[in-house]
Amino acid sequence: MMMKKVYFLYIPLILIICIAGSNLLPKGLTKKFDADKGNFSKENQNNNLTHVESDFTNQTLTCKSCHETEYPTKNDPGLRKCPRFDMISKFPTFNKGPEVVDIKEMSDKYTDVVFSHKIHSQMSEMSIGCTDCHHYNTTGPVLNCRECHEQNRSREDVSVPDLKAAFHRQCMGCHKQWSHDNGCSTQCHSNKGTDVKNRDRQEMLDKKHPKVTEPTKMIWETNSAAGKIVTFFHNEHNQLFKINCNTCHKQENCTKCHDVNNPKDDKNPIGIKKSFEDHHKPCMNCHNENACEKCHKEKEMTPFNHSSSAGWTLKNYHSRLACEKCHGNSMPFKKLDNNCTSCHKNFAPGKFDHKLAGLTLSENHKEMECENCHLKNDFSKPPDCKTCHDDKSFPAQSPGKR
Amino acid sequence: MKNLNRRDFLKSTALGVSAVALGATSVKGADKTLSEDRIGILVDTAVCIGCRNCEWACRVAHDMPTKELESYSDNSVFKEYRRPDKTALTVVNQFENEKNPLLPVYVKNQCMHCERPACVSACIVGALTKQADGSVIWDDDKCIGCRYCMVACQFQIPSYDYDKSIDPHIRKCDLCFERRKKEKLPACVNICPNEALLFGKRSEIIQIAKNRIKRKPDEYIDHIYGEFEIGGTSWMYIAGKNFEKLKMPPLGNNPAPGISESIQHGIFAYFVPPVALYALLGTVMWITRRRNGENDEENILKPHDEKGENK
Repeated sequence: MMMKKVYFLYIPLILIICIAGSNLLPKGLTKKFDADKGNFSKENQNNNLTHVESDFTNQTLTCKSCHETEYPTKNDPGLRKCPRFDMISKFPTFNKGPEVVDIKEMSDKYTDVVFSHKIHSQMSEMSIGCTDCHHYNTTGPVLNCRECHEQNRSREDVSVPDLKAAFHRQCMGCHKQWSHDNGCSTQCHSNKGTDVKNRDRQEMLDKKHPKVTEPTKMIWETNSAAGKIVTFFHNEHNQLFKINCNTCHKQENCTKCHDVNNPKDDKNPIGIKKSFEDHHKPCMNCHNENACEKCHKEKEMTPFNHSSSAGWTLKNYHSRLACEKCHGNSMPFKKLDNNCTSCHKNFAPGKFDHKLAGLTLSENHKEMECENCHLKNDFSKPPDCKTCHDDKSFPAQSPGKR
Repeated sequence: MKNLNRRDFLKSTALGVSAVALGATSVKGADKTLSEDRIGILVDTAVCIGCRNCEWACRVAHDMPTKELESYSDNSVFKEYRRPDKTALTVVNQFENEKNPLLPVYVKNQCMHCERPACVSACIVGALTKQADGSVIWDDDKCIGCRYCMVACQFQIPSYDYDKSIDPHIRKCDLCFERRKKEKLPACVNICPNEALLFGKRSEIIQIAKNRIKRKPDEYIDHIYGEFEIGGTSWMYIAGKNFEKLKMPPLGNNPAPGISESIQHGIFAYFVPPVALYALLGTVMWITRRRNGENDEENILKPHDEKGENK
């Protein structure tokens, strides 16, 4: 009895220690928990690069992200050369960025260059996202170009463009169709004293891109001999197979779709014009069978159906699973056979609870090998009882209770 | 009179032959003196935006007449293919981009400053020289306007300002010799807004070009034009499509002067041909002299000139 009382006395003491302990824990430990969370959100981010709502300052970095050498020292830090994308693990949403950015590098000669950050960042979603321009960022706020790009053109290390080139490349890489009629001084840099800036600024703030709707099904009429009609189910690739946008939409920019010179019609509202290669590349990246008939058909294709495509109907548990659970994460999907044991490694006589398959085996059948009934381990078809029992057939007579 | 003429002719031939021989040896010596840190310039055609500012800067740097810089943004000049000439040492041409017709490809042309320049090899007066820093420059005072360099150049670069017969001027890119003396970058490199022209040590430039191709394999073909072409050039190019389609001549990796020089050097080595020629002529002379001596008494009345012609 006495011993029990002593135990009761200990309880408040233990509680006090626990509470004090949690407060006394080093701050790093709680941060580590956050970082773990960060890791988790990184997984999501791979699926949908620019939609992540996360704290931009909380990047997932290791020493190896910057230092190449095993033991970096102050004198020999062994820094990697512009790690670029490896460095960036988190992005702010475009809503968090500024609407308009004034670039004042040449303020002595020209008015500020007004850059419409908002619409560019919105549209960058169609491409590779923020990294298209912010190609290098460590933890913390977005770096200024000046941090890496030197002002001087005649410099020791020319592998990184100088500041003038860095700025120009950001714009001119896409805007190669700059209006040659006006020259530089009226396009971006206005000569000092003109009133262009304010008007432009308002124009930029008002500029909005019409909402880009995600297509569900796309049909092309082609001249191919293999078949005139090509059907593409965008929704299946995107939602069902969960393929990242940027798997197909690589390095896209406005000019890839918008060509003022191309004729537009109802079928092609933005006048898109692609080469033979460009048309086929997105499909051929995964569907690398060299058979035109695979896509070019005489009729419109029907939506994806697991039973007709794979010859195996998804029922019960399987129909609820995501594709990658069985077929792996990498594209193209791994092909599987009908053998349960190639996925369910633990399915062995005695170990497998046959009840899961909707049938509790009777005592006589319980200890038998799977392939005694499921011939050649083929589980796609119901078992044929006649191999053992002359007078019995499945499912009229079953080897157990349903 | 005739004897004198012949002597003159022989003299000048001997001089010419030895001059060619000497000239050839000086070319051979040139690549031995090339510096490890010699110049390389990379033209990244994927980065060039066709602003043609380089054309303007080039004219200004070489005191050539030019319009205002603003007029260079007129892109109607791209309608036809242009070549560098005496009024423009460098020109930019536009090419179609099959991958994206909205982003055309621009290619700047100028003297490539070959590692083994054919023009230097062809120059009979040694006016053109290959410098240790990689540039190919010339001495205007030595140039006699023979235009052999024009014929020799596989990029068809040197042109002539030849309005006065006694005052010929070669016109081609000199890698801004005057500017570099003042430790300035070449004018085109300096003005390029996108740094599509990358100036540095040739070895480093090649490495940077390789890195760019490696980083963007979709954007570039795996070929640095000028790394090995005709023995390598100082100006090098990277591009997203085959260089033949960008009107860069498909040249092998053997230096242009290779064959001609090896023949020249082989024949003229150790002064063999002149010595052989003189030996042959001497023998003929000796034989005829002896025959003449035998016949002198019989044909004493025959005119002397005829025999001279028979020689």
